[in-house]
Amino acid sequence: MPSHPTPEAWLRQQARTVKGSMLAAILAAFGGGLLIILQARLLALVCQRVVIEGIGRTPLLPLLAWVGLIALMRGLAAYLSEHAAIKAAAQVRQQVRTALYQRLLRLRPTGMAGEVGPLTEVVTSGVEGLEAYIARFLPQMVLAGLLPLAVLLVVLPSEWRSSLVLIFSAPFIPLLMILIGKGTETLNRRQFARLSRMAGHLLDLVQGLPDLKIFSAAKREAELVALVSDQYRSGTMAVLRVAFMSAFTLEFFSTVGTAVVAVIIGFRLLAGNLSLLDGLFVLLLAPEYYLPLRNLGLAYHSRMNGMAAAERIIPLLQQPLPTKDLLPQRAQRNTEEEIIGTDTIPTLNSSANLRVLCGESVEIACESVTFRYGGDRGGVQNISLTIPANSMTALVGASGSGKSTLARLLLGLAQPESGRITVDGVDLAELDQQAWRLQLAWVPQQPFFFSATIRENLLLGRPDADDQAIQQALAAAALSEVISALPEGLATRLGDRGAGLSGGELRRLALARVFLRDASLVVLDEPTAGLDAENEQLVLDAMGRLAAGRTMLIISHREATISRCQQVAVLAAGRLEQVTTSQEYLEVAP
Amino acid sequence: MRELLRMLRPARQHWRWMAGGIGLGVAVIAANAALMAISGWFIASMAVAGVTQASFNYFFASASIRALAILRASGRYGERLVSHEAAFHILADLRVWLFKRLIPLAPAGLESYAGGDLAGRLRADVDSLENLYLRIIAPLATGAFTILLSGLFVLVWSGSAALLLVGLLLLSGLLLPLLARHLAEQPGKRSTELAGMLRTTVTEGLQGAEELLLLGATDKQAQTVEGFSSGLVQQQVRLGQISSLTLAGVTICGALAMAGLALVCIPLVQTGQLAGPNLVMLLLFSAASFEAVGPLAHSLQLIPATSEAIRRIRELADAPIPLPEPLHPQLPESCRIVLDQVSCGYGGGQAVLEQFSLTINQGERVAVVGPSGSGKSTLVELLLRFRPYQGSISIGGCELLDISPDQLAQLVAAVPQQPHLFNSTIRENILLGREVTDEQLTAVLVDSGLEQWITGLPQGLDTPVGETGSAVSGGEARRIALARALVSNAPILLLDEPTEGLDGATEQSVVERLKLRLQGTTLLVVTHRPACLQLAERIVRIGATKGANV
Repeated sequence: MPSHPTPEAWLRQQARTVKGSMLAAILAAFGGGLLIILQARLLALVCQRVVIEGIGRTPLLPLLAWVGLIALMRGLAAYLSEHAAIKAAAQVRQQVRTALYQRLLRLRPTGMAGEVGPLTEVVTSGVEGLEAYIARFLPQMVLAGLLPLAVLLVVLPSEWRSSLVLIFSAPFIPLLMILIGKGTETLNRRQFARLSRMAGHLLDLVQGLPDLKIFSAAKREAELVALVSDQYRSGTMAVLRVAFMSAFTLEFFSTVGTAVVAVIIGFRLLAGNLSLLDGLFVLLLAPEYYLPLRNLGLAYHSRMNGMAAAERIIPLLQQPLPTKDLLPQRAQRNTEEEIIGTDTIPTLNSSANLRVLCGESVEIACESVTFRYGGDRGGVQNISLTIPANSMTALVGASGSGKSTLARLLLGLAQPESGRITVDGVDLAELDQQAWRLQLAWVPQQPFFFSATIRENLLLGRPDADDQAIQQALAAAALSEVISALPEGLATRLGDRGAGLSGGELRRLALARVFLRDASLVVLDEPTAGLDAENEQLVLDAMGRLAAGRTMLIISHREATISRCQQVAVLAAGRLEQVTTSQEYLEVAP
Repeated sequence: MRELLRMLRPARQHWRWMAGGIGLGVAVIAANAALMAISGWFIASMAVAGVTQASFNYFFASASIRALAILRASGRYGERLVSHEAAFHILADLRVWLFKRLIPLAPAGLESYAGGDLAGRLRADVDSLENLYLRIIAPLATGAFTILLSGLFVLVWSGSAALLLVGLLLLSGLLLPLLARHLAEQPGKRSTELAGMLRTTVTEGLQGAEELLLLGATDKQAQTVEGFSSGLVQQQVRLGQISSLTLAGVTICGALAMAGLALVCIPLVQTGQLAGPNLVMLLLFSAASFEAVGPLAHSLQLIPATSEAIRRIRELADAPIPLPEPLHPQLPESCRIVLDQVSCGYGGGQAVLEQFSLTINQGERVAVVGPSGSGKSTLVELLLRFRPYQGSISIGGCELLDISPDQLAQLVAAVPQQPHLFNSTIRENILLGREVTDEQLTAVLVDSGLEQWITGLPQGLDTPVGETGSAVSGGEARRIALARALVSNAPILLLDEPTEGLDGATEQSVVERLKLRLQGTTLLVVTHRPACLQLAERIVRIGATKGANV
């Protein structure tokens, strides 16, 4: 297990990538603080002149003009500081989101990343949570160290007793904040998990609404939504009750501190030991002394948001990539090193396998391949099977016998736990995965389509395909008529889960995508399920054409499909039961 | 603004929390302003007394200062708790309200929203309603009350000073933010849209990650997401810029207020209309009163984005219900199904079914076969009351539209074309909250061919099926859906390819069991598998010429 950086360390590392903007934000805010001190002095002076010395308005006009000018400068400082902080946080979010998503797209096929709902949540709202830390908490933390010190330095010569009050009340603030913060952190972490679960739960319910309606269970689920929302509320409130305690402490010490300072100054003034100028100056600055600390207290909530987000992001960024997959060069330079810190990207020895990757048809061999999902179900054990080049092999077996697992292993989506798979004699594990994938075509049982046009979905197979190639592929999948009958033809948008086309039509669309691709190994998972006999015939004919010069593996139960294959491999409970010819298999089969 | 308040209506039962949050907010700001004002007056009076050696009763002032300090701190804590409690109550109510509105829409009314976007509306948009009370309505109400109170307070000493202060408070609390809000309108809308698109794209890509990887389209997908993300971030920076400008404006107004107040009031001190200490008091009071307007800018700026979220939610919630509940529901007297000249098409496209007629007598078992795309699955969806149609569909003599969905669910059970498995256990997926005896459940498991498989699982019926059934195979998922339908014991059963993904032997045994179990059940099975046809007494073919009976 690689050791992860702490969320705090990782977040600061992120902030360092935008050092310039962060520094600008802090400097501008500090400048604004100094202007406040100047303004307080000038105002105190005005009051001294008017209340004590009885001077009229006209001689004081220049002084008041200065107060006005300082007001404008304070505005400028506030703008510069805020804008710089926001820009810094924006840049960090973009960097992290890009790196994170690239990684998840590669982790997800291994099944190691987790479920889609929560992952989407991390990539979208989770990354947004970083802003709070970068733009709010970090600058406030630095300012909370600098500004009170500056105020103390100017107050000390005027009124040392009040300075003592300020000095002694200040340490309580961070101290209590840390104590309370520690308790909240655990609560907060649980809170983020709850939020993710809630997101997944709602997506799940809405996608299954039709099923709920069939069994009139939707109203019961609505109560469940209420229950989950209410749990979320009481969970969040439990966090907030504690989180607000720290803000309360800050508020308490700062208001009581200001009150005590006011009373002390009052009595010093009564005794005639202090001028109103100095006394008012100190009173005006007392709230400003506590303000950065109070802001820090408010931003502490931001810190926890950022940390909770970071905690979900870091393990995903640190999870090693399963295959010899390389992130794109650009992303690797900018984001890998800085965002993840250390990472071990497997380097590739790409000498021996070029031979394989330019070949047209390949021979695939499994040698004692074993893979279990970590459980006993659905895995495969000790499979040794050769799929000859230029042939069609059918993979048959009961549901759950390991057919899909074996297909995933051949496709390189999973790596054997023991044994090996070779392609023309070269170990699959040593092949350049990206180049190898260019040689693959795969249609799973539930093919995936984007909410995009039919054309865009087809072009995923081969981005540079022209219209003629697309039409040929559609014809091969017996879809030409269906598509041309659509009012918008190829420009028809496929809605959620491809709504708009029938189940059989969608599967044929996935096949058309395969026809577009110029692959040397084609794996089809139940390609003709859901097709009527007539369409099955059409697809099988097209498959026959595609098989020329390619190696094909077809998972199927259907006689018409199996009869097209030269070889049949029978799986039972994860073991290879027999390998035979299709004639023999079909004669014996019930 | 009216739209925003209307959105609170489903949660109006929580008005006490809402009002409490606003009331405490006003009290907290007033306490601070009073603290600063009395402190200023107190020290100035003490200074004057010190210089003139006059006596000054300081007990009242110093006691009030301490009391206000404590009131301020504890009031703030209470205000935050109460307003958050209100906000979360509102959120929970709105989420349930929206989910209930979605129920009659599914599935035909929801097809135009992709899954990620739909979930986004259900969560991110509803969550952004957390802003509605907490960051929009409560601060606006609090700000309005405090500005009013401040003006009244200063008015006691000077009309023009009150005018100046209220003017600057309104400028920084209302005019500047409204200007900012105007500027933020476009980027706000854009950022909500982009966030929705980002969410959809992220979800789609993660769901299809395996195929993307094999198709070599992973980088293309990552770039699409990077594009949306950078678009979103850009809009957020623009929004941030606008808010920074507003912040600067408020800072300037606050500082100018003190200079201006001094300018107006100094002559009053000269003429004796205003005591010296009161000048100091007014100066400190005006500085403290700006605390009320700080959050206003933020509130007004949030309105466009929140309105957009509300618009999207409204669009969904107010979508026309494809098949409304009947006003006068009728009770079917038998299970005889009659389809007469039925036509149906998706979203104005070409008709999937045209002039289709079919009668299924009570207790009759009918199989429907035909090429894919001929409308077989649509037929099942029509009978489930999922899609609008032309012509007439009746069950037991009642038009389908006149039967309430709940009544229909008692009558009809189904395995749809794409059954959804919930991220829960096998048991919960089969039962969906219904209660059956152990014997009944065992019988269902046997009849759907699940029993052997489940007995072999270490956790048995309590095995989780994973997200959208990812931990079980396609055939297992189908059989779970079959078991779900059999639990109902409904007199009418609609099966869309119930044995899809099952191997020959399993399929045969399931068909044998079903033949026994479904004696007397009115059955419509859509299939092209020869084994399944054994279930039926009559086979109907939907031909290439749509809807022709053979």
